Amino acid sequence: MTSIAEERIDRLHTLARRAVADGDEERSREYVRLARRIAERNRCGLPRQFKRFTCDRCDVYLRPGRNARVRTQDGHVVVTCDCGTHERYPYRDGG
Amino acid sequence: MLTAETLPRHELVGLHVRVADSSDPTLVGCEGTVVSETTNTLLLSAGSRSVRVPKAVATFEFRLDAECSEDASEYVVVEGERLVARPARRTERTGDSRWQ
Repeated sequence: MTSIAEERIDRLHTLARRAVADGDEERSREYVRLARRIAERNRCGLPRQFKRFTCDRCDVYLRPGRNARVRTQDGHVVVTCDCGTHERYPYRDGG
Repeated sequence: MLTAETLPRHELVGLHVRVADSSDPTLVGCEGTVVSETTNTLLLSAGSRSVRVPKAVATFEFRLDAECSEDASEYVVVEGERLVARPARRTERTGDSRWQ
């Protein structure tokens, strides 16, 4: 059973995503920060997609093509935020 | 699940709300979508207008959407007094459900 904390994070994830699509990045930052705080207080962690598509420096939700660039390099994916921060995560061939 | 029981501990941002009662008569009847929450206030937005409503003096009527319940629109009335807490902190309280 998913806890209320996890459901809240899930909802905030959707809201942050939508806020960026509507061009309201400051609002998306607010949602991302709140979701992170909830995860921290309830010790439940964050979904992988949330971790990979939020900026570590400016907290904005990243939407490729809108405020983020996604490139694959040797063995890893690089997501670059508009603020200049790179986020890297590995991929496996055929994985 | 976002139900009447869990609503005071759940995410309020994104829900449609109407101010059912308030000690400030100008706030009664305000409605809109919650876009932001602070310890003491909710920021409602309806179209181009947005209103910051203090939680402590108001009674709110939240609308639960169809995706959250069987009924197409279920309304939950919550005293604002019970929502006064930092947004992340509300989830942690348990066993105080006195929903109407």
